[in-house]
Amino acid sequence: MTVIDAPQEPRATQAPTAGRGSRPEPPGWLAWLKRQKLASYVVLLVFTVLYIGPLLMLVTTAFKTLPEFFQNPTGMPESFRFENFTEAWNEAQFPRYLVNSVVYTTVATAVCVVTSVLVAFPIARGYLRGGRYVLLLYVIALFLPPALIPQFQLILNLGLFNTRLGYILLFLVNPIGIIILVNYIKAIPRELDESAAIDGCGYYRFVFKIIVPLIRPAIATVTVLHAIGLWNELVLAIIYLTNDDLYPVTRGLIAFEGLYGANWPPMAAAVLILMTPMVVLFLFLQRYIVSGLTAGAVKG
Amino acid sequence: MIHRSYLFARGWRSATPVLLLLPGFLLYLVMAVGPSLATAVYSFTDATGIRGIAVNWIGFENYEEFLFRGAASRDNIAALRRTVYFCFFVTVIQFGIGLLFAVLLNQKIRGKKFFRTLFFMPVILGVAIQGLIWKLFLLPRGGPASEFFQLFGWTSELLGGQPRQAFAWVIVVQIWANAGITMVIFLAGMQTIPEELYEAARIDGAGKWQLFRNVTWPLLTPAVNTNLLLNIIGSLQAWQLFLVLIGYRPGTQVLGYLVFAEGFGQTSGSVASAFRQGYAAAASIALFVLVLVFALVTHAWLSRREKRYIG
Repeated sequence: MTVIDAPQEPRATQAPTAGRGSRPEPPGWLAWLKRQKLASYVVLLVFTVLYIGPLLMLVTTAFKTLPEFFQNPTGMPESFRFENFTEAWNEAQFPRYLVNSVVYTTVATAVCVVTSVLVAFPIARGYLRGGRYVLLLYVIALFLPPALIPQFQLILNLGLFNTRLGYILLFLVNPIGIIILVNYIKAIPRELDESAAIDGCGYYRFVFKIIVPLIRPAIATVTVLHAIGLWNELVLAIIYLTNDDLYPVTRGLIAFEGLYGANWPPMAAAVLILMTPMVVLFLFLQRYIVSGLTAGAVKG
Repeated sequence: MIHRSYLFARGWRSATPVLLLLPGFLLYLVMAVGPSLATAVYSFTDATGIRGIAVNWIGFENYEEFLFRGAASRDNIAALRRTVYFCFFVTVIQFGIGLLFAVLLNQKIRGKKFFRTLFFMPVILGVAIQGLIWKLFLLPRGGPASEFFQLFGWTSELLGGQPRQAFAWVIVVQIWANAGITMVIFLAGMQTIPEELYEAARIDGAGKWQLFRNVTWPLLTPAVNTNLLLNIIGSLQAWQLFLVLIGYRPGTQVLGYLVFAEGFGQTSGSVASAFRQGYAAAASIALFVLVLVFALVTHAWLSRREKRYIG
């Protein structure tokens, strides 16, 4: 297992296989050790198969006809036909599910992020008496019992069961987001507040015009983290939404599976349709997602 | 309300920060903290999920039934044990694989970015997509996994097979879905280790294993702690892949699924069965206690270990 690259061997990044320039190959097990990078690649490739295999199966299935699929589930499709995609798109009401998901995600994330900034800023600055305890309340959230059942009773008794508003209400707070924002705001110099206050800038304007642009990376992280969790939510959608018109895509996908059962080709096409935008977005937003997940994780 | 260090306009206008904070804070209390604490209260009632039906206080009835009454309680205890197994296997394997990925991808190696992206990608897909992808991959007859095992003469129904087998496959998918998080946390930890330490160790003649054992591993302690705790807590509470992959099948349930199934009438697979929310609240308190005990024990163990390294 190689830990870190030896700088004495700058060539090591090149071809992992034998024949490294003019250097004589050491004999036997030593040669193997020298070629440890090869071992690294072998391990990585094995896992790559495990990670790509299921995706590959999904793609090939999406292009097959049902008889073709039953005859030879693992082979390549005979031709690239898009009927499965149109079928999934039209039959399963995915346009509607997508609209629902977009509405839930944007509204709830927007409210969550704006309110979170307004909570995080005075706490981070110590402008609030007892602010430390407010923060503590957000930290211990991670160790509280699940809120599932009473939350349901609350929404039910508010008469918001099976409504858009009720569903959105479930996603308006994010304690981890508050903690990320507080930590980020703490790094911004207080002198900024002082000079702004001296210049007569109001609190509201200061937060939105000065602080928000400065903490954009943290806001992006919280936004992306919250939006992904919400977009992917399945269980709450099962619990709270029984009307097919209100389903987000995750719930719609499971409903589609219930209808189509073993008819995998259109199923696979549906999964692929819903997965592709996620993957593309992920490639662009990777940095924020990773920083959100590792926030505070390695500081000790 | 406002601290005296507050710099902006005084007088009535100093109420602004508090007023602006209130919506977020109240939402948090009403939607998260309140319900969270109320779970304990509900666990002593016979609440149903139906509006307008009276809720009665029944004391420890739910707990008694959950732990001690009849065949159902034996199933519950089995689910509890299964939750611990699930946690153990997921934590150990995911920790190992995540560490392996991080070590391999912290080298100067070709395609590093590609591999990191690939291993992390499942994390963002969500349980519905993760589950369906693997349901297809684990197709019992003629699917890729089944074909592969046929090469060794091993036939299996995979997810549809014996409960034990189905359970094991959920563990596999759970790890596939989440090892990326473990990896990025380890990678972030490795990036904080100063290169000079490796230089110094190398000058002292340390080999690659020794570099890992004596430099990387001890300095990775914060990331190790985070990953262990996250994996343990996360896997004790995880159950959603069970829902997508195999449904509520006897011999495979874990506690989290039990809470959902009892509370929202999914036990028999039909919506018509009862919503036993008081009972489900008791079950979720049981799960909470389990998580708390595991987290505290792990935390204590980790801080002892940390002291050993720091001295």
